[in-house]
Amino acid sequence: MEIIFSTGRRQGKQSKRPRIETNEGELAKYVQIKSEVVANPDSTFPVRISPYKFDVSQFGDKEVAERKFVIENVSDQDLDIKLVDMPYGMFKLELPKKVKAGKSEGGKIVILDEWLKEEFEKSVTIELNDANNTRFTIPVKRTIRVPGQTASTKPESATGSH
Amino acid sequence: MKHTKGILLLMLGIFLWSGVALAQPKLTIPESIFDFGYVPQNSKISHAFWLHSTGTEDLKILSVKPG
Repeated sequence: MEIIFSTGRRQGKQSKRPRIETNEGELAKYVQIKSEVVANPDSTFPVRISPYKFDVSQFGDKEVAERKFVIENVSDQDLDIKLVDMPYGMFKLELPKKVKAGKSEGGKIVILDEWLKEEFEKSVTIELNDANNTRFTIPVKRTIRVPGQTASTKPESATGSH
Repeated sequence: MKHTKGILLLMLGIFLWSGVALAQPKLTIPESIFDFGYVPQNSKISHAFWLHSTGTEDLKILSVKPG
């Protein structure tokens, strides 16, 4: 079950608790998503991700299948980076495993062939090994505008959206 | 003999009844909380939760309501 969260113009800590009703009984079950919405990635964070939204849109005939990004460690400690979550079977993500203090490392997100003709809005979540195990979720968006063609959108598996 | 047959039938009845009574759908959500961490404004993010049917009867999702 996919839960989609539109951050909109919200700011600060956000929590949503979609309710799932089944034939199990009268008591419903819940899942919960938490986030902290920020207007702009701030230099007080241990890392700066550029760009902070991955736009893999294609405008024109030339195929756009990947987006490069840079992770800058603005803290004073070396940081390990691990992938926490991304949609299954859509992307290949080249993520640096470690970024030394004060240094930058590059990465790349590549859209798998099956999804090149689709428009979507998904996300990738990473986690640092700093004291707070800071997490970042980077939106990944693909829009296609090719003269004379209409892009398709695969049906969402989501049953709830905020 | 008649008496034994009766007890056996009764036991069989109880066994079948208990089987029907115990057949229950059950939803198990191994990971029910997900933390996205920091997220930029004006964007859409998503996470997939796994729902497992762990009962003895088919589980039906009747509705999902945004929280």
